[in-house]
Amino acid sequence: MRNWDLFFRVLKNSMNCRYFSEIKYMEFAQAINAKISNERIPISGTIELTYRCNLRCIHCYCNQDKNNEEIRSRELSKEETFKILDSIERRGCLFLLFTGGEPLLRDDFFEIYTYAKKKGFLITLFTNVTLVTPQIAGFLKGLPPFKVEVTLYGMSKSIYEKATGVLGSFELCMAGIKNLINNNIPLSLKAMVTNLNQDEVIKMGEFAKGLKVDFRFDPLLHPRIDGSKAPCQYRITPKEAIEFELMNDSRLAGWKKFLERAGDSEKLDSLYYCGAGRDSFSIDPFGKMSVCSSCLSPSYDLRQNSFAEIWDNFFPLILNDSYNKNFKCRDCEIESFCANCPGYSMLENSHPETVVDYLCEIAHLRKEVFDNIYKDIP
Amino acid sequence: MNSLDKIYSKNPDIVFRKIANEFILVPIRHKVSDLDSIYTLNEVSARIWELIDGKRSVQEIKQIMLNEFEVGNQDLENDLAGLLANLAELGFILQGS
Repeated sequence: MRNWDLFFRVLKNSMNCRYFSEIKYMEFAQAINAKISNERIPISGTIELTYRCNLRCIHCYCNQDKNNEEIRSRELSKEETFKILDSIERRGCLFLLFTGGEPLLRDDFFEIYTYAKKKGFLITLFTNVTLVTPQIAGFLKGLPPFKVEVTLYGMSKSIYEKATGVLGSFELCMAGIKNLINNNIPLSLKAMVTNLNQDEVIKMGEFAKGLKVDFRFDPLLHPRIDGSKAPCQYRITPKEAIEFELMNDSRLAGWKKFLERAGDSEKLDSLYYCGAGRDSFSIDPFGKMSVCSSCLSPSYDLRQNSFAEIWDNFFPLILNDSYNKNFKCRDCEIESFCANCPGYSMLENSHPETVVDYLCEIAHLRKEVFDNIYKDIP
Repeated sequence: MNSLDKIYSKNPDIVFRKIANEFILVPIRHKVSDLDSIYTLNEVSARIWELIDGKRSVQEIKQIMLNEFEVGNQDLENDLAGLLANLAELGFILQGS
């Protein structure tokens, strides 16, 4: 016989009735992530539904032509995707990202999305939004995602379309955003800062503010997953990257918070020191599962192995890998200021433990700047 | 109708998830006001949620809970009524099968 009172328990003491608790998603996410930190539950998953895209962005790390039949023929079928969704739901995945390429290019996107919604995932959708018609926005209103994140490539038609390579895409993007806003879809905007659009980033932020949606930017372009370094020619300089950070209060505050925490954290011995493979996973359009979408090797084929086999048997082997004690970045005294990680290193130099000169230069500049601004950070 | 004779069914637009021993109700179709919230149940409430099936009356659920938990008859009745009222108010359960 179980004790009645003993079992009245909530995740967080913010309950608004005795029996259950309504809490904000972000609080919930933090609480459950803390709770599972030692349990290896795959709570966050990324599924890249396709690498095909209707835009041809110059800096993109994965886009393939929307009509690439060879790519399409190798993509997971709807049924295969359903099976994967069943598996990850059973193992405790809650936060699910659908991304691409452009996920809305798939004819069966809505069937896959609906199936996932009915499984109880909290879905984030990355889209370039150019395909979001009033009808699609209306559909999303009926089954709302946790969030839609849209990348802006510029705030002027000329810059936007120079980046995307598609005439008319700027108008489609603006229309898509309007359709989402009109349907109260939770939206946030973001930008990859390039040497083409850097003069328009402030305008993008103002545009987002006008819409009352979040905006963030990232200057750290990386090579394509096929090894091409073409996107790197559009990188802004390390000095410009730091200047962007200094312009943005929330980004500065984020770094400050991170650096304060980093001073207290224990150094892990393993090669992977983030949540990759511990609480998260990534699945590419062809069913290859890896610990992170930037670390495509090693990856394991979900057409040959079950999710549970990969999560329980293969990922632990990766997580047991120690870092190379001769790899100078891991013992670097300004490691906390640097964005290098096995994934970025792999994309840049085809090896998870290499110096990424671009990031190294940014880290040194960041340290210099932060030493001047925040004298209290050790 | 006596409140113990009522029969509730789950709203099919609410998905029950158990993750890391946490019990979560995820609405598939939110009201706009709910968009940034999620609902967690304690274990007693989660058990009651499991028992709501559009067939069992509140009286039958009460009897099962009495057999499973150390709880007084009146406390259980009050708590059960409170929980069901809250769930119904949110639209998570519907009266009638």
